[in-house]
Amino acid sequence: MEYLLLFVSASLVNNFILSRFLGICPFMGVSRTLDTAMGMSFAVAFVMTVSAAVTWVINAFVLVPFELVYLQTIVFILVIASLVQFVEMVIEKSSPELYAALGIFLPLITTNCAILGAVLINVQQDFGFIKMLVFTLGSSVGYGIALVLFAGLRERVAFSNVPTSFKGAPVAFVTAGILALAFMGFSGLVK
Amino acid sequence: MRNDIIRYALTLSVIALLSALLMAFVYGLTKPAIDEARRQDFLIGLNAVLPEYDNSPDLDAIIIDNQSVYVAKKGGAIVGYAAVGHSPKGYGGTVSVIVGALADSTISGVVVVKHTETPGLGDRIITAAFLSIFEGSHISREYAVKADGGHVDQFSGATISPRAVCDAVNTANALLVKGLEYEY
Amino acid sequence: MNIKNFTDGLIKNNAVFKQMLGLCPALAVTTTMLNGIAMGLATTAVLAGSNVVISALKSVIPNKVRIPAYIVVIATLVTMVDLLMNAYLHDLHKVLGLFIPLIVVNCIVLGRAESFASKNGIFASLLDGLGNGIGFTLGLAILAAVREILGSGTILGVSLSTPPIIVFILPPGAFLALGFLMAGYNRLFKGEI
Repeated sequence: MEYLLLFVSASLVNNFILSRFLGICPFMGVSRTLDTAMGMSFAVAFVMTVSAAVTWVINAFVLVPFELVYLQTIVFILVIASLVQFVEMVIEKSSPELYAALGIFLPLITTNCAILGAVLINVQQDFGFIKMLVFTLGSSVGYGIALVLFAGLRERVAFSNVPTSFKGAPVAFVTAGILALAFMGFSGLVK
Repeated sequence: MRNDIIRYALTLSVIALLSALLMAFVYGLTKPAIDEARRQDFLIGLNAVLPEYDNSPDLDAIIIDNQSVYVAKKGGAIVGYAAVGHSPKGYGGTVSVIVGALADSTISGVVVVKHTETPGLGDRIITAAFLSIFEGSHISREYAVKADGGHVDQFSGATISPRAVCDAVNTANALLVKGLEYEY
Repeated sequence: MNIKNFTDGLIKNNAVFKQMLGLCPALAVTTTMLNGIAMGLATTAVLAGSNVVISALKSVIPNKVRIPAYIVVIATLVTMVDLLMNAYLHDLHKVLGLFIPLIVVNCIVLGRAESFASKNGIFASLLDGLGNGIGFTLGLAILAAVREILGSGTILGVSLSTPPIIVFILPPGAFLALGFLMAGYNRLFKGEI
């Protein structure tokens, strides 16, 4: 039950994009069409889960015992950067189809603050291994939901008659605002 | 080719080593100040709920079930106790409170130290007007909002946040009850 | 020439409104003007520092491993700023929280390192870093001012005795305010730049 609550809270109530403001750059960049949004969501979910697990182990067994907690930021970002590189190589070799679908998003993920954000929140909240996995999965699912919903909205907005000054990014932000307003309805769900 | 790779590795290692040294230096420099700032934060919370004291309650703590009950003394005599309570039942997440109690088991004060309740609605739980309801009543009492049959005021449009405060106060109280029974 | 390095980043290539970089902190910490400015200045310190260091090291760092090297330099500076703020500006550090370490992945910092500091002299890189940083701070300050005035009815903590429209300090208000400000920016500067 506790895990279910954590999952709902991470995915819907404290949605990464719409409430915590993590990972906004790709949110705006790749949400023009549904297909790219789906691809990005899967790539983020994958890298987020793997890097959260790896950094959790490094933090618990190296940084904390040796009192090197101040190296967290630099170690975590290097882990994420190398993981992204590694994942890219593996996918390219093993599954060309998957690579064709996710490949272009992978380099963008290193500088996606949703990944580093998730990893840092895990450490700050002192989650155990299972809780960390539940939180990370919930976060990435929430990230995907917001991204895909938003891409669907933007496909519709593209066909409407938007005032010149609002064309492009401004109307996208207003749309995101309304979507965030809708997501506020989820708070209070965990009680 | 091989030389190139060695050169890359060497350059990166030197940069990483210098960076680590620099960070270790700044860490050593700032650690005392950071620890002190964190301690002061906690002491501000304790000051708000405890009567006047002259010891350091955060260091004079008794450990019960792995949690701390902070003991305030004046002139060597115990004047009050304080404990931290959390509740995950808030509208936006965890609500944390510090509850202070006098030696006669009445509550001397409650402060909310951490919350993520909605500004303008649920965050009224931090006001003295709301928190003063706890003062003077007994720590073994079970607190609840009026909607649940208790006596704590809820706000129009926000029942969940006060309910979470009651829950957090109850957890802290359970600890305080044990703390007051503690024999040295 | 040198002055242009500084002024370009202010309005013409404003990080928030034009380049749309560093939007996560721009949306997250702008509930009060003070927080917005503090976040902007912390980023400026990292940006100016990393530009100077990377410009100084540009002949030493081999081209192929430049990105990891930049990340190490930036992460070091961020950690230093993080520790110093935690020690000496503790209350501000608590509010900005997670978004201080996240300066590492702020696209502005790596972007300026890659596109400017790696090709230009130390002094020009310093000016470029300061210009872009202050432009970012300006963007944050404007967004934060709008949100604080509308959402809390205060400015820099001083009450304006206007009724607060709470939604503007909540997450949806951040998106709405930025959308309208960006439209205003387009309206004002379109054609001139």
